[in-house]
Amino acid sequence: MCGVFGVLGVHKQNKKNIVVNALSHLNHRGPDAWGLYVNRVIGLGHTRLSIIDIEDGHQPMQSSYCIISFNGEIYNYIELRKELESQGYSFNTNSDTEVILKLYESIGTNCFKMLNGEFSVLIWDKKSEQLVVGRDRYGIRPLYVLLHDRAYFFSSEMKAFDALAHYKREIDPQHLFEHGLLWNTLADNSIYKDIYTVESGTFEVFNVNGRTTKERYYQVGESFDSNITADSFDNTKKAFQELLDDSIKVRLRSDVPVGAYLSGGIDSTIISQRIKEYTNYELKTFSVTFEDKSLNESHFQILASKQISSIHHEVKILNQDIDDNLLKSIYHTERPIFRTAPVPLHLLSHKVKDTDTKVVLTGEGADEILFGYDTFKELKILNEWKLSNGDSTVIESLKELYPHLSHYADKRQFAFIKMYYEGFLSDFDNEFNGLNIRLSNNKIIEKYFNKSLGIKFNKSTLLEKLKKTLPSNYASFSLLQKNSYLEIKTLLQGYLLSSQGDRMAMSNSVEGRFPFLDHRVVEMAFGMPDEYKLKNFDQKHILKQAFKNEIPEEITNRPKQPYMAPDLIAFISSDGQLSDLASTMLSEQYIVEYGLFDNKIVKRFLNKFKNGVPENTGYRDNMIFIFLLTSQICQYWINNPLEVELDMGKCVVDILDM
Amino acid sequence: MSSVMILEQILNFIVDTYMVEIDEIPLNESLIDEGIIDSFGLIELASFLEKAFLIQVNDDDLTRDNFSSINKMIALVDRKKSHD
Repeated sequence: MCGVFGVLGVHKQNKKNIVVNALSHLNHRGPDAWGLYVNRVIGLGHTRLSIIDIEDGHQPMQSSYCIISFNGEIYNYIELRKELESQGYSFNTNSDTEVILKLYESIGTNCFKMLNGEFSVLIWDKKSEQLVVGRDRYGIRPLYVLLHDRAYFFSSEMKAFDALAHYKREIDPQHLFEHGLLWNTLADNSIYKDIYTVESGTFEVFNVNGRTTKERYYQVGESFDSNITADSFDNTKKAFQELLDDSIKVRLRSDVPVGAYLSGGIDSTIISQRIKEYTNYELKTFSVTFEDKSLNESHFQILASKQISSIHHEVKILNQDIDDNLLKSIYHTERPIFRTAPVPLHLLSHKVKDTDTKVVLTGEGADEILFGYDTFKELKILNEWKLSNGDSTVIESLKELYPHLSHYADKRQFAFIKMYYEGFLSDFDNEFNGLNIRLSNNKIIEKYFNKSLGIKFNKSTLLEKLKKTLPSNYASFSLLQKNSYLEIKTLLQGYLLSSQGDRMAMSNSVEGRFPFLDHRVVEMAFGMPDEYKLKNFDQKHILKQAFKNEIPEEITNRPKQPYMAPDLIAFISSDGQLSDLASTMLSEQYIVEYGLFDNKIVKRFLNKFKNGVPENTGYRDNMIFIFLLTSQICQYWINNPLEVELDMGKCVVDILDM
Repeated sequence: MSSVMILEQILNFIVDTYMVEIDEIPLNESLIDEGIIDSFGLIELASFLEKAFLIQVNDDDLTRDNFSSINKMIALVDRKKSHD
């Protein structure tokens, strides 16, 4: 895994300095080596974490007329290389980087749809004097673009822009609010002014005058056809099993050993078991455990690791660890979070690094593509509720939801839950789909913004914005497929893969690989009938049926436990004292200075916890607190960028091509 | 206790608990649908009504007819008090 950076602008005289200064902020993504390429028009930089072709795979890499800076992995590079060799292309390295380069020379921007893997890539085409930038199908690897001082800048992480002269990142409050509502910004927006993200599944082309092309080469659900009759459950199960196995196998392609995260749930247990099945090396597995028993899943983690005989490593997380590591974690996420769950993964990747492991396979994506979240159950219930005109058995099934929340089991309070869901009956099947519930829970943060920013929740405006991003076949998706699509575009991309995934692994130079996010797996799962994925209320049904004989029964049958870490409780003591970090960042001085939030409202909110965190504190207060605190920390890092320097001895490519 | 006094107490509770300004609280709209409270909020509100006005909220009171707006909650409290 690596970091990429680029600058495009003829008038920029000192491109080499710009690239070197920016790369220093991406050093954590690739501490093994770095390199740069500069010509009259463009500067490209690269920091490298060496995983495939350690000796020769240095970047930026040149071929006859192209030069590339690439972050990611291409898992079908062996097959693509054979194909290219048969067409007469010769190769100087054994790297996947060179395969992209030659593939681009062979078929141009059609190369992206041929790649199986995750990537952000910058290719300078000397012939056409064009810069081609592309990003993987699901946004696993980040890529941001900044327009500043008549030049374009491209980077894996936005903090690299902090090195630019006369530039300071500036939060766009409306986008920050949108991020708070949906856990991601829509379309190509970031939470910062003047910075956008290259959208997943798209590529863009720039010449010296600016962007000339933006094209989508992939969309979630693109191969779905509602007119095709599905194969039987058993045949589909077998095909899915084979495909997932293949996805795992190609993700084991690496010149360094591959480990696995083991959460104690079925997704990561299956992946670990399959790795063990297909390799003969000693598999290292890694888990987070908590002192708080309600969050701890170590029983299942140990059960799984024993069954597959892995060398198991645990990181035990204390509440204090969350407080101690939040500041650093937000340095990496570059956007606010809503739960502290990413923080333990920052500590876990440190553990991975300490065991000399650079690559881990993990289970992200399974819940989105196989209907593993409660939002799928909620929608199913709401739909049946509406269709049955309020059948009492259907309404009773609300109790299926959130068994880990004690008040849902309480007979009397069930009535309130019913009232709560009743409010969604009129619009749960609009384009927002399952997001209606997230919006409803999160729109309260509008009240916390500084009034002078004029932040207003306008559902219809947001709906129009969302509609513009939807694919042309969206209307043919089922209710649950729509939710799958939206969960992939919001929670998965904006939070799980970025804040909780890429950034927390890369913070310690560890690469995550995601077998459930092989596009062949995603498309196959997407096209399956809903009931293969959610049978009655059995979530990820087909996955469980496919692998139930391979993993411990106790894990297959356990109720889903969302991965969570201590939130409010990590920052507020039992006598109501705020931690140093929280009391500083949420102090009147910082709230007023940063100008994002309303001091009176923040103060009143904190007052709720003056006697400690009440036992029954719900999702919303935890979310609000973490959102406020981490938004403030984002601004803190803008105002206080880290001073970092590159190790000049690790420069392996330095091409001046004037 | 007059309806105005009940209203005042409910509004103060909502302001202090859910961080909204008094003039932002709708009297005839659902506090859930307006995003002011979530399902936990309803539970908190019902407990508040019981404690503040010394009433008993029974299982069959737990309907949208009684809880879907502040005015409906005031009516519920009024009704309960007048039966005391």
